[in-house]
Amino acid sequence: MKHPLDRTNINNAWCPGCGNFGILKLLKEVLTELDLDPKNTVIISGIGQASKTPYYIDTHMFGGLHGRAMPVATAIKASNPSLNVIAEGGDGDMYGEGGNHFMHTIRRNPDIIHIVHNNMVYGLTKGQASPTSQKGFVTPVQVKGVSSEPFNPISVALALKAGFVSRVNIGNYAHAKTVLKEAFLHKGYALVDIFQPCVVFNKVNTYKWFRDNTYELESTYEKNNLLSAMQKALENDPIPIGIFYQSERSTFEEHFRGEDKKALFTLSHDLKKLQALFETY
Amino acid sequence: MKKMNVPFQTTISDPPVSLPEHTDQKYTPTHSISILIGGAAGTGIMTLENILSDAFKRSGYFVFSTKEYMSRVRGGSNTTLLRISDAPVNAPCWHVNLFIALDADAISHVHERLTSDTIVIADESINNEEIAITSMPMLETVKKVGNIRYANSYVAGVLFAMLALGTEILSQSIETLFDDQKPQENETAMQEGFSYGKSLTSSQLPKLPAPVSGLDNSMHLVNGSAAAGFGFLLGGCNMITSYPMSPSTGVLNFMASMSKEFTLLVEQSEDEIASLNMVLGGWFSGGRAMTSTSGGGFALMTEAMSLSGVSEIPAVIYLAQRPGPATGLPTRTEQGDLNLALYSGHGDFGRIILAPGDLQECIDYGYLAFELADRYQMPVVYLSDQYLADSISMIETVDFSTYEQRRYIKTTEASYHRFTFNDTGISPRGVPGLGEGIVVSSSHEHDERGQSTESYQMREKMVEKRQQKINLTIAEAFAPKVFGQGSIAVIGWGSTKGAIDEVLKELNDPRLFQVHFSWVHPLNPEHLEILKATEANIVIENNTTGQFADILKSYDVNIDHRILQSNGFSFFTDQLKEKLSKIIKEEK
Ligand SMILES: Cc1ncc(C[n+]2csc(CCOP(=O)(O)OP(=O)(O)O)c2C)c(N)n1
Ligand code: SF4
Ligand SMILES: [Mg+2]
Repeated sequence: MKHPLDRTNINNAWCPGCGNFGILKLLKEVLTELDLDPKNTVIISGIGQASKTPYYIDTHMFGGLHGRAMPVATAIKASNPSLNVIAEGGDGDMYGEGGNHFMHTIRRNPDIIHIVHNNMVYGLTKGQASPTSQKGFVTPVQVKGVSSEPFNPISVALALKAGFVSRVNIGNYAHAKTVLKEAFLHKGYALVDIFQPCVVFNKVNTYKWFRDNTYELESTYEKNNLLSAMQKALENDPIPIGIFYQSERSTFEEHFRGEDKKALFTLSHDLKKLQALFETY
Repeated sequence: MKKMNVPFQTTISDPPVSLPEHTDQKYTPTHSISILIGGAAGTGIMTLENILSDAFKRSGYFVFSTKEYMSRVRGGSNTTLLRISDAPVNAPCWHVNLFIALDADAISHVHERLTSDTIVIADESINNEEIAITSMPMLETVKKVGNIRYANSYVAGVLFAMLALGTEILSQSIETLFDDQKPQENETAMQEGFSYGKSLTSSQLPKLPAPVSGLDNSMHLVNGSAAAGFGFLLGGCNMITSYPMSPSTGVLNFMASMSKEFTLLVEQSEDEIASLNMVLGGWFSGGRAMTSTSGGGFALMTEAMSLSGVSEIPAVIYLAQRPGPATGLPTRTEQGDLNLALYSGHGDFGRIILAPGDLQECIDYGYLAFELADRYQMPVVYLSDQYLADSISMIETVDFSTYEQRRYIKTTEASYHRFTFNDTGISPRGVPGLGEGIVVSSSHEHDERGQSTESYQMREKMVEKRQQKINLTIAEAFAPKVFGQGSIAVIGWGSTKGAIDEVLKELNDPRLFQVHFSWVHPLNPEHLEILKATEANIVIENNTTGQFADILKSYDVNIDHRILQSNGFSFFTDQLKEKLSKIIKEEK
């Protein structure tokens, strides 16, 4: 199953059967099918099992700190607006450690695809609760079960008027692919929360559980209505998947640069102008 | 991929840049006077400071002004000190010749800074049993003119009359500064003050030195924040991401104002963690990014410092110090964050710490911060402090075309690896979208490609590569500046430069000479030899323990005396002179 975007000579660290393999395949296929040049594409990730993804795809990558992919991605896009920029990580990475950046990146609306592998657990650190773990989920740390309300990334993103808000289930591959492609075609921030079974540390939210507890938003569903999107976002039995909301507005980069997409490395300041400004003091 | 042109593109094989030579001081100080203005926040002391410094400069004087203020927006008691001289002044004094009290509280706030010779000027409504006051009908007059806000112009008029200067220049300053806010009323208030001032006679009135001709056109009045900002722009800064924190906000404001003139992205981040991570993202894709912060904010950035270290992504951090711990004294000054800058981040990695000592160095080291970060692919911390950032002083015209521009980025070929080994430890830095290569950056230990690895052999090689870079920065470090010669070195770093210089000139003791460090880390042991040939070394720094003295000690430099202070003020020359005299008496 070789793919032209496979990074060669690597040692994949995921457990056999993990949902991450499906997401890796999905991303490679979408990049290829949309004909996106890997030399013009950057994936930024944090730390966690999900965040290992860019080490396995042959695009540019920035492996950053746990929780901190979003500010890095925002700045990468701003300093070279012609790059395709993807930020990718786990639910703990993006919604826990990086929760503040999640909120404020949405507010900025950079043209970034935000992919979150939502396995409702901390995989890399061996099975503690994540912000999206369901109530009662028992772990070596949450010994009496999780008592906190699960974080709902969809309703939070909607409350902040994110321009593209979606959720998919990697077990429903064809649907996931349609949605991820739409996310790439959207101008501005696009959230794709992906249900991803962790076969080792989450024995509750399995492939079967995700299949049994999700349904695709109806084809008649209108994705341009924030209020009905919010209503859908709050449904959890079963959980809707698909594009909850989409609406385009101007981006973070456009605010600074307008239509100018030149990379900052091609520019330099006019020192005569700087001199003249200094002389006014 | 279309071909892209990178201006000033270069490689590490270029020798390090040198800073343009600056002409030696051509002015000899004969005499200076000091004027202290005290009043509540929000009453316009800053306006008065601006009118007076502008008018004194136009009159042919060197002006230095510095403020101390409380952490509040209205009320309290703040002061601004102005020193007027016939040669450059770069330090405050404690005792003053003239004191203008804008309210009664100001007198109790500063009474320790008054001597029996100080002339105290205040509104006639203010009485004080212990202190003789020269009264002026300020409030009554400005109310007649129309508004209490004109008090600043009135006071400026009184002062100019007392110092036997004319009104013509003051009128010009008022017109320029108030061009859209009632210049006429301010002019009237100033004239009223001037005629009142003429009627005052005092045998104690301080005399101004003779004015310097041609000064106004060749010199610029700039504060330390703006000077730093000009330096950063000269270094090619095109992105600043910061979370506001005094006393670093001056730089953020300055850069924001400059974003109207240049391609310069200014973003207020959600927290300091985001700030430095954005800076790394900016450099990674070919920008030249910085953040501005103070101690508390920098403490939050330390994990990203470490990321800059391992992924060899440049970063520039402007760290304006204020006294801690924690919130400490938010609006006051200290040099207490040297250790924080030096030890921030986990694991071993190289960094450079710069600490400019005057306006020229603020510009030079701002430029240099970007050049060095780019050259060595490591974080550069630019240490300023509230005193340096907020003080206004004069600087000769700087020729920005004399600073060499360089961009150390590589147009990659398909076989490109980000972390190739070579004999400098510095691998050519590619950026996404420039050339045919793929750029892989990792916070993990990695191989030459950038791919994460746990091979202990690769770890050893990468550790050695990063160490090689550190060795290169030591070899290429700038030497401390040595002023004069003698047997006792008076050592300082950063913003104490002007105070030490003035005190040594005043003491005029042939044994004393000044050694000033503006490149604070890493030190090159060869540059410290001079301190091993002295009879005594005295370190002066604005913190509790002598953080820099301890660093020197770790290089086997003897530290015989430490003059330390951490009361929220910078060093006052008259106080420092006393402390230093006492020590050198012991050295006899
Ligand atoms: C600052 C910091 N704190 C903690 C960690 C340890 N850590 C690494 S990954 C992780 C959580 C992983 O969970 P998630 O983000 O959901 O990713 P997953 O492994 O489940 O894909 C933690 C706590 C770290 N690397 N950095
Ligand atoms: S621990 Fe869970 S998330 Fe991580 S690779 Fe294994 S199965 Fe996947
Ligand atoms: Mg997880």
